[in-house]
Amino acid sequence: MSEIITFCVNGEHHTKLVEPHDTLVDVLRDGMRLTGTKKGCSVGDCGVCTVLIEGQPVNSCLVLAADVGHQAITTIEGLATNSELTPIQKAFVHEGGVQCGFCTPGMVLSATALLDKNATPTTEEIKDALAGNLCRCTGYSGIIRAVSRCENYKSDGTCVKKNHALPEKQSGQSDYRPSSKDGTSVGVSIPRVDAADKVTGRAIYTDDITLPNMVYGKILGSPIAHGRVKRIDTSKAEALPGVLAVLTGKDVPDTMYGVSPARYDEYILAKDKVRHVGDEVAAVAAIDLRTAEQAVELIDVEYEELPHVLDPYEAAEEGAPLIHERYERNINTRVEQSFGDVEKGFAESYHIREETFTGNHIYQSPLEPHASIASWDHNGTLVLHTSTQVPHYVQYMMAHVLHIPLGKIRVIRPTVGGGFGGKAETTPLDLCAALFSKQLGRPVKMVYSREEMFHHGRGRHKQHMKFKLGVDQDGTIRSFDSEIYLDGGAYSSFGVATAYYAGSVLPTLYRFPNYRYDGFRMMTNKPAAGAMRGHGVPQPRFAFECLLNMVADDLGIDPIEIRRRNAMTPNSLTVNEMDVGSCEFLSTLEAVSDKAKWDDKYNKLPKGKGIGIGCGGFVSGAGYCIYRGQVQLSHEKGRESFQKKSIFPHANAIVKISEDGMAAVLMIGAAEIGQGSDTVLSQMCAESLGIPASRLRIRSEDSDISPLDLGAYSSRVTLMAGHAVSRAGVAVVDKMKPYAAQLLDCDESLIEAHDGKMFVRGEESRSVPWEEVARKYFNDNGPLVGTGAYKPPDGLGGNYKGSTVGTSPAYSFGSAVCEVSVDLETGKVKIDKFTDYHDCGTPINPMAVHGQVEGAVVMGASETILEDVQFDKQGRILNPNLHGYLTMTIKDAPEIFSGLVDSYEPRGPFGAKEIGEGSTLPVLGAVAHAIANATGVWVKDLPITPEKILRAIRGKNTQNIPSASEDFPEKCDHAYQSE
Amino acid sequence: MYIPSVNFHRTRSLAEASVLLEFYGSQSRILAGGTDLLVDLKAKRISTDHLISINHIASLKTITEENDALRIGALTTITQLDESQLVRDRFPSIVDATRVMAVRQVRNLATVGGNIASAVPCADLPPILTALNGSVVLWSNKGERIVPLRNFFLGPRRTDIHEAEILSGVIIPNSGRNFGAAYARFGLREGNAIAVAAVAASLTLSANGTINSACITLGAVAPIPKVVEEASNVLCGEKPSDALFAKAADATVAAADPISDVRGSAAYRRELVAVLAQRALSKALQRAEEDAQ
Ligand SMILES: Cc1cc2nc3c(=O)[nH]c(=O)nc-3n(C[C@@H](O)[C@@H](O)[C@H](O)COP(=O)(O)OP(=O)(O)OC[C@H]3O[C@@H](n4cnc5c(N)ncnc54)[C@H](O)[C@@H]3O)c2cc1C
Ligand code: FES
Ligand code: FES
Repeated sequence: MSEIITFCVNGEHHTKLVEPHDTLVDVLRDGMRLTGTKKGCSVGDCGVCTVLIEGQPVNSCLVLAADVGHQAITTIEGLATNSELTPIQKAFVHEGGVQCGFCTPGMVLSATALLDKNATPTTEEIKDALAGNLCRCTGYSGIIRAVSRCENYKSDGTCVKKNHALPEKQSGQSDYRPSSKDGTSVGVSIPRVDAADKVTGRAIYTDDITLPNMVYGKILGSPIAHGRVKRIDTSKAEALPGVLAVLTGKDVPDTMYGVSPARYDEYILAKDKVRHVGDEVAAVAAIDLRTAEQAVELIDVEYEELPHVLDPYEAAEEGAPLIHERYERNINTRVEQSFGDVEKGFAESYHIREETFTGNHIYQSPLEPHASIASWDHNGTLVLHTSTQVPHYVQYMMAHVLHIPLGKIRVIRPTVGGGFGGKAETTPLDLCAALFSKQLGRPVKMVYSREEMFHHGRGRHKQHMKFKLGVDQDGTIRSFDSEIYLDGGAYSSFGVATAYYAGSVLPTLYRFPNYRYDGFRMMTNKPAAGAMRGHGVPQPRFAFECLLNMVADDLGIDPIEIRRRNAMTPNSLTVNEMDVGSCEFLSTLEAVSDKAKWDDKYNKLPKGKGIGIGCGGFVSGAGYCIYRGQVQLSHEKGRESFQKKSIFPHANAIVKISEDGMAAVLMIGAAEIGQGSDTVLSQMCAESLGIPASRLRIRSEDSDISPLDLGAYSSRVTLMAGHAVSRAGVAVVDKMKPYAAQLLDCDESLIEAHDGKMFVRGEESRSVPWEEVARKYFNDNGPLVGTGAYKPPDGLGGNYKGSTVGTSPAYSFGSAVCEVSVDLETGKVKIDKFTDYHDCGTPINPMAVHGQVEGAVVMGASETILEDVQFDKQGRILNPNLHGYLTMTIKDAPEIFSGLVDSYEPRGPFGAKEIGEGSTLPVLGAVAHAIANATGVWVKDLPITPEKILRAIRGKNTQNIPSASEDFPEKCDHAYQSE
Repeated sequence: MYIPSVNFHRTRSLAEASVLLEFYGSQSRILAGGTDLLVDLKAKRISTDHLISINHIASLKTITEENDALRIGALTTITQLDESQLVRDRFPSIVDATRVMAVRQVRNLATVGGNIASAVPCADLPPILTALNGSVVLWSNKGERIVPLRNFFLGPRRTDIHEAEILSGVIIPNSGRNFGAAYARFGLREGNAIAVAAVAASLTLSANGTINSACITLGAVAPIPKVVEEASNVLCGEKPSDALFAKAADATVAAADPISDVRGSAAYRRELVAVLAQRALSKALQRAEEDAQ
């Protein structure tokens, strides 16, 4: 029985027709179009739906709209008045409290409720007030800063901030010189360009968009891990009023898709077999999401169940169920790499240690669920709004599956609420929405639920690692041998690259004279694993760092000292022929050791307290594109042989100057997913244009507007897109120079642009306003436009199989020290503190860099001690939700110090390289070492749970604990919410 | 994740709610904070045709003292309970539980009545309220029944609430002098993690320092918030000591019947029970000793 109710929202009355089952979040979002209130889980676990009722924060997904009555509701839209931000909103903007922004409205509201009651809360009080708001990006550091410093934003809106000058040290050549120290855009912690939109709820994410006449789709997943689809009966679903269309395997193209061109092995919907629980089988489009959800459950599928295999070692056994005909013995990718003479190296070693480590199943779990809206223009252009980190690859793959030219596909990337690798490929949502939309002639929206996100997967590969390290008496590495089994799940996804990455980036940190890597990426009946922050490297890095610490202890060498003795040095070619340029790894080690007071603490803390070190680094962008050849519909391309150079530029930018010269519009397809690329690209472009960043607007969301960029993966954006935007800026300035020279009456070669002026080098007072020169140019020539492009250097990598993976123009380095307290009776770990120093080249925006480090520390620490996607023996996920799959809350996050060492990368724009992924890598090993240091025992199986710690202390094994015992489903009623 | 179609009834009095409950019988459910019920409905764990909201019955939202007993209205939210000075002064052990329960947004919605009536084995209030010798007040148009919590829970998600009865409040009797209680629980995460294991303990000391009476209850490791009589037997008449508490902890472990699930194995939960029992007892003792002064 529906009811007409008048709500009081943000001081305004809204009269709405409400159904008894409607929750407040849906009435706010769908009924009132107040989309600043987000949906991330629908069951109270994430806090993105937080609103205030009578000033009290509540989860609007747990409130029945009909039950609210006349109580006053405040949503994020109700805080700022006439675009004047509240002090706490300003604080979030200026203190780095915002990244992807998906948690931000809820955070800001929770903070507002706290500060209303208590203007000067303690850190503990802040943590208690915000513990119900998960954030996956910031590591909570910026958020705590924002709330505790809110006072500073009360009067004039800014607190006194130091201007970070550019580092002095410049050890190489770069195409662009920072022209002067003041008023510069590069090297300054300007607030994110999108922060104000995010703290006010104005940022528009895909699911916030409603197109006229739009309908909704939902996908049915397989209930079994492995089977043949015998028969699908969709008649009941079709008969449900409101259902518009149903798709099954027979309705979708026969073309397979995926990520690695050599291994396209997915259909949009299963045609013959299902290969994991949740594997997509059928889909429904209906007038609303509720109907679509109901209809999907009415689809009747008959399966012939096949034996399944969940363990990668079992999958390799003779007679194991074969998941794909094409992968013999379920081996999806086999890597055999050997450099130097490993056996000889071991023979010459003074000490050898061999250990086995296992990783965990980690899911990125960005706060924003994947979403997609497809529609077709009358001229046959597909317009796809999608929450992705790789708009170009989505365009490429849609073209491939739908057999239409790339030019007929327009990809729009609205604001993205985090990705971490989980949104780095085309999803069944994109493809089903496109098919439905074509069939129905209406826009179709599809969104994953949190549970569906887990079932779709693409998280980190769980890796089983056997490592053997041989060293001299002084700890110098002689030889290293590794065998890794990667649990790939049911499809290839990024897996080919993952399998290679697992081995290729280890030798960039330490000098390995002899190195062997045997890799097996195995198919199992689980959701496909994909690329996640640090792609393939974090678990091997964790294992290696642990092993190095064990060896140091064996030899009585300090763990930091053993790293000094093996540290990579600048301008080196690694044993596997990776070309390392700038490298301040040693400086990060020294800095972190000093700052954390390592020498006073290591082995000197009381039992239960521990300190540990871990190091790591990553590529600054993959040296090669994922697919071969030029940008073209794959079916039209001939067989392409591999060439050791980029065929086309990986990053491309256009800068267009407004006709009055007052604004610049930067167009580039680089994907802002929360990491801050729009901001740092704006800064670099503004710097090369010679105008303040505030005069620049960036358009990165629409492939119709912005030229191709390969996207946000492999930490490529700062370096590669940074070059493209800077070159575009330089191109504009070059066009302006003759006009400026004329106005200033000097030689063209003497003109410089900076801070909104063009002037004569050395005589800054002889200047003209930048805009005046731009206008003069326009008067004579029409549009003032510059373009820039970037191709990675030719010839990167060696000449062996797989040599391209791990190549990059530049490598980052970092060292982290972790301090923990362990409750030796329960095994519970509290991560107290992290000290991290990084070499990321020139920091374009130090606040953004620290934000990446803080986020990486918490994400990395969380995956080391808490996170694991667990499966039962039938291959069903036991915790596909945020109360079972635990990520750190603000109360769990450590205090973090993030520092940077002076560094300059000649191959990077303004000397910059990456930070986002590299900063994850030291974390896991540092946590593991600190726990070992506190307890006296090593736990080599991730995650290092309290239970495993207790078992290790008791000398028991830490693998295969019956956590998901057979009797679980029957007795699950004992536990709360333990579906 | 949507709630299946239902009917919704807003009630203004217990009498009205009770009539509706009687009329719709097993096809209806009381709706309080909704933090269990709406989640269960969305997850399709349960289904119902009628939701009967009692959220607008103001009389159920108060915490009062009646003849020395504390009476907590069923609609008291966890936040109200947590912030109540009366509760802090008289039963700080309740705050041991409220402090670690869920998170602010949920605590603002979740009610005491719902936490008890759900009868979910890992709920935090039932163990401590049982250890405090609390009773629930069950109201229907036929009259009021008072049922001690130790008899109220019948199994996971099963209680002694009869058809058309509404849990209107909880009564905690005066504890007398020299009394202390505590609640110790273990969660995997600092914020928003439900209990993996929990133990509540209460005890009274006699003038000569021996334990007069004691009650230990279990959370999350048994189908109901079970009272461990064996532990009381170990403790009563003895002088408190670490060794004694260790013995009581052993008895508590023996009474536990945990399962293995994503949060931990049964074996690990038993280890936790041993630790938590000792911690709860030590804290209860400390409070009893403070109470004696
Ligand atoms: C994210 C999250 C975290 C949580 N963490 C914890 C935790 O750490 N510890 C913990 O103990 N709990 C936790 N919970 C559960 C907790 O919120 C609930 O148990 C809550 O106390 C239930 O109260 P409610 O008012 O929301 O009940 P509702 O959901 O409204 O009702 C629950 C059940 O009780 C019945 N009921 C409610 N009130 C009455 C009444 N007066 N008379 C008769 N029947 C009634 C309803 O019909 C329903 O079956 C959590 C929940 C969420 C969503
Ligand atoms: S959507 Fe409401 S808490 Fe996650
Ligand atoms: S900024 Fe918090 S989830 Fe992205």
